[in-house]
Amino acid sequence: MADAIRTEALTKYFGQVVALETLNLSVGPGEVYGFLGPNGSGKTTTIRILLDLVRATSGRALVDGLDCRTASVEIRRRIGYLPAEMPLYREMTGAGYLDFLAALESRPVDFSYRRKLLSRFDVSDVDLRRRLDRLSHGMKRKFGIIQALMGRPSLLILDEPTSGLDPLMIEAFAETVHELKTEGRTTIFLSSHVLSEVERLCDRVGIIRRGQLVRETSIADLRRDTPRRLRVFFDGPAPRPPASLAGAVRRSDARHWDLEWSGPLGTALDAMRGLPVSDIEIEPFKLEDYVLKIYSGTEGARD
Amino acid sequence: MAALLSAFQILDIVVAYNLQAKGVYGQFASLVPAFIQEAMGGVLVGSFSGAIALGFAHPLVMLSLSCVAIYLASEPAGEVEDGLVDLVVARPVPRSLIVTRSALVFIVGSAAIVAAMFVTSRVTVRWLSPATASALPALRLAWVAANLLAIVWCLGAAALALASHVRERTRAAGTVAIVAVFLYLLQFGAAAWTPLRPFARVSPFHYYEPMRTLLGSMSPVKDIAGLLGATAVLLGVSAVLYSKRDL
Repeated sequence: MADAIRTEALTKYFGQVVALETLNLSVGPGEVYGFLGPNGSGKTTTIRILLDLVRATSGRALVDGLDCRTASVEIRRRIGYLPAEMPLYREMTGAGYLDFLAALESRPVDFSYRRKLLSRFDVSDVDLRRRLDRLSHGMKRKFGIIQALMGRPSLLILDEPTSGLDPLMIEAFAETVHELKTEGRTTIFLSSHVLSEVERLCDRVGIIRRGQLVRETSIADLRRDTPRRLRVFFDGPAPRPPASLAGAVRRSDARHWDLEWSGPLGTALDAMRGLPVSDIEIEPFKLEDYVLKIYSGTEGARD
Repeated sequence: MAALLSAFQILDIVVAYNLQAKGVYGQFASLVPAFIQEAMGGVLVGSFSGAIALGFAHPLVMLSLSCVAIYLASEPAGEVEDGLVDLVVARPVPRSLIVTRSALVFIVGSAAIVAAMFVTSRVTVRWLSPATASALPALRLAWVAANLLAIVWCLGAAALALASHVRERTRAAGTVAIVAVFLYLLQFGAAAWTPLRPFARVSPFHYYEPMRTLLGSMSPVKDIAGLLGATAVLLGVSAVLYSKRDL
């Protein structure tokens, strides 16, 4: 089965500026893929090439095995898209906006699903009748999410989907993604700066920096490979670390050690057996720490 | 704009009727320099027929109409500028449809305005001077209107071509509007200064002689065909530019 998204040596120059350079990535069908990178790294350019809004300088992008350039209309039949900057026809009402965009879809919009989304994202009939320029930023964003989802596309491309949403709506969005993931019919390509959201929702992440993919990995692998931070407290003065832990101790003082441990935690705990340990704090895995290193260029090797 | 330009037709014909009634046309015409009369279509201001033609040849009428078409045609650049194109073209909408839609909007929009002007002019002349209306067949006025429309379409198509390439609506519309004014002045200047005449051929306004058309002394078919040909070429250029551009 063809990849839902595949790019092959995708390169894009805007004049002298390199936006993408030989970008190779693949996203499997039904996968939730987090596409991360600092501002200006090429995320939006990649998305816009997939939608044929921007033309690649060289290389190609494929969706379901179809070339985004030569079969763009067919590809766009399958895509639901939420842009990072939500463009609106200001004088339209919310309902008019959704109807207008539904009319541009080639497949019939499932209105019962649309009603379900409106209810989930707490969009009332009053909101639907209001002009878009009178809505709050968060409400406009909700309309953006609904218009992307309402056609039940097989590929969802979401650029900063939860920007401006309140925690309750972020939860509603997460619930929707989980639902789609469970159904398994929709591939989700999600670009976000909210790393906790990516960590929670995505199966895999690709990290792009200066137009190049510097890392592509699964969240599960990242959890396994990323060193865990532990703080071990002792009853009384901290002892000398045993040889098996010595390499992992980053800092120690009179009462505790700070460790960065790679590999199964059980091995570290075994090594502490017999020591006067009073407490252990284990910092939860944070994608943020890892990604920040890559953004800053201190960790860049690709898998 | 349709209401405004239609009102202009009424005002123009009412004033012409009063001048005719008072028999001061001769005096009025002598006040207008010959080159201006020539630039505006020969004996334009010297007769009631001339006044009817003036409703379709006054610089304000021609430039206002052109500006409407230019503004409507520059929509593709506006959509790129404010990002609306992202939502529309991200759906299964062929790019050619965006150009076709914009072309239809400016073509139909400007045609509707000119049609309103034509009907208003005709009805007002019939009301005030049935004899003049009988002497000037509707078909001749229709040719004048069609010639004017062809100029407007040509400029609209130029705006669409530029809007299919640039990212700012003001850049597309502003540039073509300024060029339109320049081309009008070029044609106007050529009437006063002979050395300019060869250059006036590049101006669409050069291919418009409302007075002679209205009096039946010339057929504007060739001029209209030339302007429509240029419009078609510019529409083709628009489609090609839009199909290749980054949105």
